[in-house]
Amino acid sequence: MISIQVDGRALQVPPGTTVLKAAEQMGIVIPRFCYHPAFEPEGSCRMCLVEIEGLPKLDLACSTVVREGMKIWTSTPKVIEARKDVLAFLLADHPLDCPICDKAGECFLQDYYDKHGRYASRFSEVKEKKRKKIPIGKGLLLDRERCVLCTRCVRFLRRVTGTGELGVFERGVKAEIGIGEGMAIRNNYSGNLVDICPVGAITDGDFRFKTRAWFLEKGRTVCPRCSRGCNIVIHAVRGYPLPGRQRRIYRIVPAENPEVNGYWICDFGRYGYHDIEDNRLTTIVLRTDGRPEEKTSDWKDVITGLAADIKKTVENGRSSRMAVVLNGYLTNEELAACRRIFVDTLGLRNIFFADPKPGEADGILLTADRAPNGRGAAALGFSPTLPEPESPPGSTDLLIVFGLHLLEHLPAEKAAAWFKQAGKTYLLAATSSVLDRAADVVLPTALPAEKKGSYTNIAGLTQSFECAVPAPRGSLPEAEILARLAAELGVELG
Amino acid sequence: MTGIPATLIPTGEDSFRLEAYLGRGGYEAARTVLLTKKPQEVMEEVKKANLRGRGGAGFPAGSKWAFVPQAGDLPKYLCVNADEGEPGTFKDRVIMTRDPHLLLEGIVLASYAVGIHTAFIYIRAEYESIARRLEAAIDEAREKGFLGAGIFGSGFDLEVLVHRGAGSYICGEETALLESIEGKRGWPRLKPPFPASVGLFRRPTVINNVETIANVPLIFRYGAEWFAGRGLPRDGGTRLFGVSGAVQKPGLYELPVGTPLRTIIYDWAGGPAAGQGIKAVVPGGLSAPFLTPGELDIPMDYESLARARSMLGSAGIIVIGDRTPIIDILRIVARFYAHESCGQCTPCRIGTTWISKIADRIGAGGGAPDDLDLIRHLAQGMKGKTLCPMGDAAALPVLSIVEKFGKELGETISRGAERR
Repeated sequence: MISIQVDGRALQVPPGTTVLKAAEQMGIVIPRFCYHPAFEPEGSCRMCLVEIEGLPKLDLACSTVVREGMKIWTSTPKVIEARKDVLAFLLADHPLDCPICDKAGECFLQDYYDKHGRYASRFSEVKEKKRKKIPIGKGLLLDRERCVLCTRCVRFLRRVTGTGELGVFERGVKAEIGIGEGMAIRNNYSGNLVDICPVGAITDGDFRFKTRAWFLEKGRTVCPRCSRGCNIVIHAVRGYPLPGRQRRIYRIVPAENPEVNGYWICDFGRYGYHDIEDNRLTTIVLRTDGRPEEKTSDWKDVITGLAADIKKTVENGRSSRMAVVLNGYLTNEELAACRRIFVDTLGLRNIFFADPKPGEADGILLTADRAPNGRGAAALGFSPTLPEPESPPGSTDLLIVFGLHLLEHLPAEKAAAWFKQAGKTYLLAATSSVLDRAADVVLPTALPAEKKGSYTNIAGLTQSFECAVPAPRGSLPEAEILARLAAELGVELG
Repeated sequence: MTGIPATLIPTGEDSFRLEAYLGRGGYEAARTVLLTKKPQEVMEEVKKANLRGRGGAGFPAGSKWAFVPQAGDLPKYLCVNADEGEPGTFKDRVIMTRDPHLLLEGIVLASYAVGIHTAFIYIRAEYESIARRLEAAIDEAREKGFLGAGIFGSGFDLEVLVHRGAGSYICGEETALLESIEGKRGWPRLKPPFPASVGLFRRPTVINNVETIANVPLIFRYGAEWFAGRGLPRDGGTRLFGVSGAVQKPGLYELPVGTPLRTIIYDWAGGPAAGQGIKAVVPGGLSAPFLTPGELDIPMDYESLARARSMLGSAGIIVIGDRTPIIDILRIVARFYAHESCGQCTPCRIGTTWISKIADRIGAGGGAPDDLDLIRHLAQGMKGKTLCPMGDAAALPVLSIVEKFGKELGETISRGAERR
């Protein structure tokens, strides 16, 4: 360990630690634009200059490695002056359009001016004019006037995706980020460019002008769109400025986790938030033969009915004519409850799985297995098998289906026909589909982001998560439904 | 001086040809060294000669070579910096034009000392005819066995390649030069690591100026003591002083290190141009802080100029006559650095242009009373705070102009204000 001092306080750090990281350990955040922990120090923005005793010039916190006995000062008059100078340089040609900039509220430049700037501008020349609103692919827009040329985007595309679509063109004050000739950003990680841009130079058409950063409430969870288990943060607005008591999700961003996803997520996961918002089921639907469809929010009644249907089937010795379709989107806790109820207690043999169809792994984060908890299901002793296209549900008295992934494996009419042929079908689903009208009872459920629980990812790592956004009113997480069902059936879930 | 004539720049129409060079004793030093001396001895000899870098920073050449790790079989490289972008500097072109084989012999010696088998000459695009001359010289030398495999039958191999730049000032900065050779955008690298350990293609690399390398054969032809004796105790040899601007006889003068600036301007360059006095002198390329006529007795060596808060730099002397408004000089200086800033780091990218815009505004009669203070502030914001030395290169001359010629600039600003 190496002994150093930061702002007069002693600290021990491992050899090779940079000044910036050492300061961070003491809770001192040194301002930076170009530095990003995923990359080697770039040293170009000059925002992180600090004073090191015995050295004539200020030094970069991002790249300077600590030495034994080093005394670092992070906010001396010289350092404060240097930060002001860098801000004055960056803001000289900056359009100062925070009121219409999506990044406002989470912009390094804006925050640093507030914290380290606060000088009176002395710039009275004509600002450089540059192109704005340049489409660079996948709905991203580049604004060169806002750019501080930190090159994080360029480095991301070279070092993470290896696609290298962006580069720096021209030089001096004319230097600008540009897209290679005939290129467009098409990779599956484009959204990260918006996250790592420290200013509003790269914005996302999907998010643009929809809300303000300070309205967003952030909830951390695990991405369910493949088996990687990337850690994500859901950004949603609740209440003001939305009418009533609505909530709306505006975007998903990565949460740092060096063991799983580093600093990134793929676009497939990121833009999955539309699934959370669109076509949600919020009422229980009951269809009894010969009676008009009935909508209710009386969960107690419906779950009592489900328990009665199960009991009746079992007591009549017709367990073999009861089938349950589970999926790898269910949490470990939910799957454990299913196991306890349907396998251990009721002894059902007709337990099937309908998972999302596998896709292609992209070699970075996205895996071929598009269910988040396949490993969890396996660990609980399930051997996920699709129902035979022809046999089981047709000869079933009671069919309980979790989720809609059956639709990925057989035509909608066929799936609907199964539902009709079964004596009684319960569908537990979060979003509306063609299967709604085929089921006898539709129970609106929560999506993973709206649940607490855990998933076991492709590497066997089990990650717990809390509810990141509230579920729509009228829906319940499967865990809750299963708990109530267990209570009705007198099953101890443990 | 010891009676042996100055030999960096030969005269005569055909001085560049191999036969002419051989006639001057060319390649004898390299032959003797390769056949009789160990690399370590070569390095020691260069250290003894007190040869300091001629590119601008003045780093002792022998020590620079010694930084390169000797162990390992992986390649090391020599890059000869022939970018010569510093305004007021025109010495390397003359060496390469008149005596390309002197440079090649120096390359052989330096490469042998460090254990290098591939050397690059990085030459600016504007020197196309010189680049062709170098390539022709390399062909001649290869044919004679002075380059290529087993030079002089010694078992030492060396290939020399000419690499053309694309006309950017910053590519004269050693790490930007490396990027450029690698085919990348010419942006300086963050140091450390230094090129001696991680250089061209991430391998240990020596980067020397043309004049530095061209001096090496002289050390072995005439001896380290002779070489050291031509200059000052810690700064051996001669310098090629390029004198341009408002003088009677602008040109390139090879004189001992430490020759007073006044001697160079008055005794060699014939004094100021007709009908003019001297207003200011740039002693070592445009990046060197300006001197006033009262500072002309300064000896032209690294340490004396550093004491005067200027620098010897590339020894390109620009004399500014007293009929030239200093605002014109400030505008030209500021515009040059704004144009040549690579754009990588914040203070230089924006500071140079900002200063240039202010200088242009003052020049156009739109100056404001606190403009000089603002220029000083912006230059201070660049000085010592940029990624590469160009921040200082841009800030220092500007600071010296504002400091030493503030009165005239103030008058220019007031005159502009009166006319408005």
